[in-house]
Amino acid sequence: MIKTQGLTKRYGGLTAIQNVSFEVAKGEVVGFLGPNAAGKTTTMRILTGYLPASAGSASVGGFDLAADPRGAKRVTGYLPEMPPLYPEMRVHEYLSFVAALHDVPRGERRDKVARAIASCGLEMVGERVLRTLSKGYRQRVGLAQAIVHDPAVLVLDEPTSGLDPIQIAEIRELIRRLAAEEGRTVILSTHILAEVEAICQRVLLIAFGRLRLDARLDDLRQQGSLEEVFVREVELAAASRPDAPAHDVAAASVEVST
Amino acid sequence: MRHVLAIAGRELRSMFVTPDAYVLSGAYMLVAGFFFFVYLGVYLQELQQIQALGMLQMLEQFTLQDFVIQNAFSTFVLILCLVVPLLAMRAIAAERATGSIELLLTSPVTSGEIVVGKFLAIAALLAGLGLLTGLFALLLFLYGDPELWQTLAGLQTLFLYSIALASITCFISALTRSQIVAGLVGVLAGILLMVLPAAAESAQNAQLKEVLRWLGSTTHVEPGLKGDIRSEDLSYFAIVTVVFLSLARAAVDSLRWR
Repeated sequence: MIKTQGLTKRYGGLTAIQNVSFEVAKGEVVGFLGPNAAGKTTTMRILTGYLPASAGSASVGGFDLAADPRGAKRVTGYLPEMPPLYPEMRVHEYLSFVAALHDVPRGERRDKVARAIASCGLEMVGERVLRTLSKGYRQRVGLAQAIVHDPAVLVLDEPTSGLDPIQIAEIRELIRRLAAEEGRTVILSTHILAEVEAICQRVLLIAFGRLRLDARLDDLRQQGSLEEVFVREVELAAASRPDAPAHDVAAASVEVST
Repeated sequence: MRHVLAIAGRELRSMFVTPDAYVLSGAYMLVAGFFFFVYLGVYLQELQQIQALGMLQMLEQFTLQDFVIQNAFSTFVLILCLVVPLLAMRAIAAERATGSIELLLTSPVTSGEIVVGKFLAIAALLAGLGLLTGLFALLLFLYGDPELWQTLAGLQTLFLYSIALASITCFISALTRSQIVAGLVGVLAGILLMVLPAAAESAQNAQLKEVLRWLGSTTHVEPGLKGDIRSEDLSYFAIVTVVFLSLARAAVDSLRWR
């Protein structure tokens, strides 16, 4: 469902990601793990058609992002790091608007919005104005807008950042359910190891803009503690970077706790 | 077209649930009303004097149309030059500031659809403002006998001027995250266009003089306010509107590349 080949993105002189290639099969739930500023958001923004790649190619659902971005966008649901909400809108109005942007026919919009509201546990706040919602509920609305048009692929950028532990548990449960529900393909980014363990079957480890590891969690567990594997990989990545300043190694360690 | 309507509808609804549009329209009506009644008061006073002096032939030239409606509409142009950019400044800048632009740019929607949707919403609001302006003239029709066609031509000119200025502001709004910057630069652009014909008078080069005169908004507003609808003025407003909407589209497109 998702395929990237030699994906590279440069911002001026800065290379955010370099030569990132991976494939995600239908129905897989993949964690995109990496320290902050590793290139997770950049990769996701390319996959969702927000940014063009400097080199390499990416396709989602068989649609090449460069050749047919609208096709790719139609099959993708995306939750950016900051949920893109309009604070003055009501929850159901907002979801209906997002559905319209994604070409959901007028007649089906009401049903789809109702389903997204039910899936994300928003029944109690459907009439509320987004500005008045708590952070946890905003995140749920963010997830609801990502699934309202029934996309085959979900791209979630740090879906639990900034939430309290109970909200984190709820959102993780929700993501697990949304993934299982329709056999959706999910790629989610995080810098929290436990999150990957809780939700994903497979992990892509990215550090300093390069893909360091692409493995199934089950296989990794046999190599010892996940924590050790990840810390080792990130440190190797930092060390192999010729221009890496010493303090980057410490800054790059993966957060292990929730 | 469905996307355009969805975006325009959302924008309009937002305008009516946030105070901005009400405050600005209210301010416009207040200031416009003040000037309207000042001109009317002065007119009635002068009329009495003329009648007292028995200068009946002057009475023919001193009409309600020339003195009240034309003067009031000329003043309304100045007020619109301040109000329209403040109404249009949110267009793209607010989306960038809140991050909701990420939703639009990752939906299967083109940059052109985004810009035209935003613009239509503002144009609808300005049409409403035009109707409210018409109420002033309507008062005169109830008690006097102004020229219908001249008045309608004046209203049309005010509307065309407003939407041209709105499209300029839409473009500026796509270049910045700051609504205030967009609004103020829009006002400055409006003032600049207004004074260009005056500046043209001091130009030495005959061709430059012609160009500056054509670029100036005053050149194309004044005939319309006098009831003279000329195709060259209509094409001026059409060209300005289309050119700046195209520029705004290009600016939104370029957001994808930054």
